[in-house]
Amino acid sequence: MMERVPIVEMKGIVKVYPDGTKALKGVDLVVYQGEILGLLGENGAGKTTLMKILFGMLQPTAGKIFVKGKEVRFKSPSDAIAHGIGMVHQHFTLVEVFDALHNIILGMEGHGLLSKIDVERARRKIERLMEELNFRVPLDVPVEELPVGVQQRVEILKMLYRDVEVLILDEPTAVLTPIEVRELFRVLRQLKARGKTIIFISHKLNEVMEITDRVTVIRKGKVVGTVRTSEATPQLLARMMVGRDVVLRIEKPPKEPGKPILRVEKLRVIGDRGEVAVKDLSFEVRAGEIFGIAGVEGNGQTELIEAISGLRKVEGGKVYLNEKDITGKGPKELYDMGMAHIPEDRTHMGLILDMTVTENSILGLHWRPKFQRFKGVINWARAREHAQHLIEQFDISAPGTEAPVKSLSGGNQQKLIVAREVSKEPVFIIAAQPTRGVDVASTEYIRNYLVKLRNEDKAVLLVSADLDEVVQLSDRMGVMYEGEFMGVVKPEEVTTEEIGMMMGGIRYEEIRK
Amino acid sequence: MNPGDIITILIMSLMAMVPIVLTSVGAAWSERAGVVSIGYEGVLLMSAFFGAIFAELARNALVGLIGGIIVGLLLGMLHGVLTVYLKGDHVIPGIGINLLAMGVVPFGILAYWGTAGQHQLPHDAIMWHWRTPYGEISPMIIVTVVIAVVTWWVLFKTPLGLRVRACGENPEAADALGINVEKYRFWSTVYGHALAGLGGAYMSVDWLGLVHKTMSGGRGFIALANMVFSGWNPLISLIGGWLFGFFEALATWLAPKHIIPGQFILMLPYIMTLIIVAGIIGKARPPKWDGKPYKRE
Repeated sequence: MMERVPIVEMKGIVKVYPDGTKALKGVDLVVYQGEILGLLGENGAGKTTLMKILFGMLQPTAGKIFVKGKEVRFKSPSDAIAHGIGMVHQHFTLVEVFDALHNIILGMEGHGLLSKIDVERARRKIERLMEELNFRVPLDVPVEELPVGVQQRVEILKMLYRDVEVLILDEPTAVLTPIEVRELFRVLRQLKARGKTIIFISHKLNEVMEITDRVTVIRKGKVVGTVRTSEATPQLLARMMVGRDVVLRIEKPPKEPGKPILRVEKLRVIGDRGEVAVKDLSFEVRAGEIFGIAGVEGNGQTELIEAISGLRKVEGGKVYLNEKDITGKGPKELYDMGMAHIPEDRTHMGLILDMTVTENSILGLHWRPKFQRFKGVINWARAREHAQHLIEQFDISAPGTEAPVKSLSGGNQQKLIVAREVSKEPVFIIAAQPTRGVDVASTEYIRNYLVKLRNEDKAVLLVSADLDEVVQLSDRMGVMYEGEFMGVVKPEEVTTEEIGMMMGGIRYEEIRK
Repeated sequence: MNPGDIITILIMSLMAMVPIVLTSVGAAWSERAGVVSIGYEGVLLMSAFFGAIFAELARNALVGLIGGIIVGLLLGMLHGVLTVYLKGDHVIPGIGINLLAMGVVPFGILAYWGTAGQHQLPHDAIMWHWRTPYGEISPMIIVTVVIAVVTWWVLFKTPLGLRVRACGENPEAADALGINVEKYRFWSTVYGHALAGLGGAYMSVDWLGLVHKTMSGGRGFIALANMVFSGWNPLISLIGGWLFGFFEALATWLAPKHIIPGQFILMLPYIMTLIIVAGIIGKARPPKWDGKPYKRE
């Protein structure tokens, strides 16, 4: 092994934001050549800030950075790349309408600015690189048409095309399906075998355990410690990360479900590309029950939720809420009838990032008489009270009710959505990817809250790409594949293997034969 | 309509397309880089006016055209500083430029030449034209076609174009790869306005040989519409601009015949261009970061 040669060293890194927030309080980090270093911490712990400093996107307030023993100062990401440090962000920085090839060569096209781009030469170079690394991406399709996992590989290629030696990956699995995660890990091992160094930012314990060689844990802007992965346990890492023991299991008392609240009958929905995304699906969600929907993403889950919540046209079939036909009704009517919706994409559908906590906290509630001074004028004093109440009740850490929501960490943003939706006092809640990209403590909180709602006789429809989440929380679950359920089962009655087979498109009856 | 009339209309249409095409092509480049401007109407008018002054002073139309480019350049720099470096709104400066032109030009015509609203240029300040039995042809037609084709080629085939488009689609991505987004955006804006400036000067010192206080006649806005419906593509803008020119020529040809009421004839180029270009291209998607200031975190 080529260990013990520090390729990157960060010493005493301090970062104070202009608004006075102390994101990093003197962080030391050592990265050795050829290793996969896990950078573990909750959302808002400072992992991303630290890595943005290493990548030249942010300037440290104090501290030094050494690359191969030499002190460096990066004014921009291109400086960092020139020193062999590349980063793949959680939100990709790809030009969506360009194909992979042009995304990869952008800024390094070769020749003069006004000469014709030699596409074939670039293609040969990338092909050679892909062969060497043993993974491929299609080069001629606009990247927006590629699955997320492939887009991520384009990002990785983009960095490797620039000959980086250290690759920083910020929460690379947050947007991936379990199958894509496995593929990513294979790629990472390939890179490591070729002597590349990888910094893997994550808050997912089992992933860190699986892929890394060493783990540095960060909490509240400070390094808690660094351990060899082979000597660590998930419990140890969780304790270091959160600062207390985390209950990774959810307490769920047995409960007899009541009458059906949501009933879906032969629902047929058309997807964006004109395909039948949901194929005559029927199921019901009962009071006091969490009905989970598992499955690889892109098998009609999104279209199903959108159809139920009135955001997408229903092509055929019926949806009933409390035995009333709600097919084709708009979101506002549905809210009035007791539906709440935690959308899967919090930054696009759940919140308006530039608006304040108060403003976001009454979205969808703002027309209720409670928040109106008189018809058409919002009572902001009430709204602030409401926001303050949600912050306290859900332990949301926010600088204040008037802070823009984008200043909150992902976990707290998500808690705010959950808090707002629950404050609508619904009888039926759709929770789509409720803990995606959310730190451990918030995840635990949100999951427990969903169980609490169930215990209060609400009906919960849980849609999640996180299989553990669906299995742990659901009373019953449907496994979705190409717009249909391969089976509706009780989680405790099936094995993970059987669920995996259903996710792969084999019907439950066939498995049980 | 005899064959001679058709040739006449075709020649007139080529002459009329020049300002629209130049402005559309310039605006397309600028917006591909992510900078929106609605000030082209004012740029056309002001460069027509100042271009005429330059041409008269030098007794040379070419100097007038260059003067128009310089006016466009300066207004583009103003817009670029406000939007790219100071991160201001992209629409407001354009309103300013348009209103400024509406004031400066009528006043300027009166102040400089002492005539109200209109001024006829002397012959030695007007561009040389190839005179045919069917009408006059300006060398600027060829220049315009070349500019449209070259702009298209650079935009879609060269590293420069790739970077410009990246700045308009995802400046963050461009920035992370060491592309100076502000520089590319600024000079793209300047280029866009400079082309409009050339188009404006063409109207006074080349095409019409006169300055009139409302001579831009909404061409700056039609050019923007043409740019949108052409899908921000300079080559298609060329066709769209020619269509406008064609219907404008047709309207001019139809007007004295009193077949249809004059008001409808005047509407013809505007309506037909929109219908045809929109019909052919359908829905186009603007650059993703078009009109949004880019600021590093």
